[in-house]
Amino acid sequence: MDEHRLRIAPDGTPRATILFAAPLFEEANRSRRTIVRAMRALAAQGFAAVLPDLPGQNESPVALADVDLNRWQSAFAEVASEIEGPIIIAALRGGALIDHQAAAAAWWRLAPVGGGSLLRTLLRARVSADREAGVTSSLDSLQEQAKSEPLLLAGNRLSPAMVVSLATSEPQAVTPLRTVALGSGDEAIAGTPLWLRAEPGEDAAMADAIAADIAAWSRTCGIS
Amino acid sequence: MTEAHKVDATLRALLADVLGLGDERAAALTEDSGLFGELPEFDSMAVATVLTEMEDRLGILIDDDDVDGEIFETYGNLLRFAERKVQG
Repeated sequence: MDEHRLRIAPDGTPRATILFAAPLFEEANRSRRTIVRAMRALAAQGFAAVLPDLPGQNESPVALADVDLNRWQSAFAEVASEIEGPIIIAALRGGALIDHQAAAAAWWRLAPVGGGSLLRTLLRARVSADREAGVTSSLDSLQEQAKSEPLLLAGNRLSPAMVVSLATSEPQAVTPLRTVALGSGDEAIAGTPLWLRAEPGEDAAMADAIAADIAAWSRTCGIS
Repeated sequence: MTEAHKVDATLRALLADVLGLGDERAAALTEDSGLFGELPEFDSMAVATVLTEMEDRLGILIDDDDVDGEIFETYGNLLRFAERKVQG
């Protein structure tokens, strides 16, 4: 099924296409404005930038409860297969869990995170909300429940398969890969972890830093 | 920097990141500063994020049976909880 994808590109043939794998779940919403700013900055430097919806995300006609990480991995690979010219994949946070099946000339990851960590935060939000509502639940009881039925976690209805795949998922080896953290130094860019915040706003300087780092990595890899 | 200072600094930076407090407000937190119920940014999602970030940044494991509402009442309570976990 066709999913919506946001594409920002210069006129003419782009130097390469930067294919974004956004953070997952709530973190995607919190990061989106800054990612799109980075995409505009990349387009100004001659790159095409693509941010696809995967099944169950954003405007997708598919229900989130009907997908798992495997489906996202293959859907992301399919998006990549439809792009002409060289591709650099730019994955943020949980995007790094679904970026490895795609064919690309290079990978770039910002603050990659394991699925177990994302799942624990979602489960804890549910436990915390339950407690406010006077209901007793625990990480264990919720995970037990998730074996047999979809679980509503912080607004996301996750299938048993999604919960299982998240619990054990780690970013996979890809090459060539540049991984950057937030902070200072060669392996980092300056910025704020907007994906952790309830009211993230946007970070224009970080968006420019993301674009500049990806462009430099493209040159290092001899892509453009 | 002593271990206790390190935990305090890590925890302030973490709250600044998660709650978007900015460095000044984070630095101004005292023992008695109220968190959950006092800071509008500190909702149930923020509680969850703070716990997971504490695990990642302090290198600890938090058993959620140990977590009750009290540790989020004040900054001092949260700091003492973190220090206990770091000491094992």
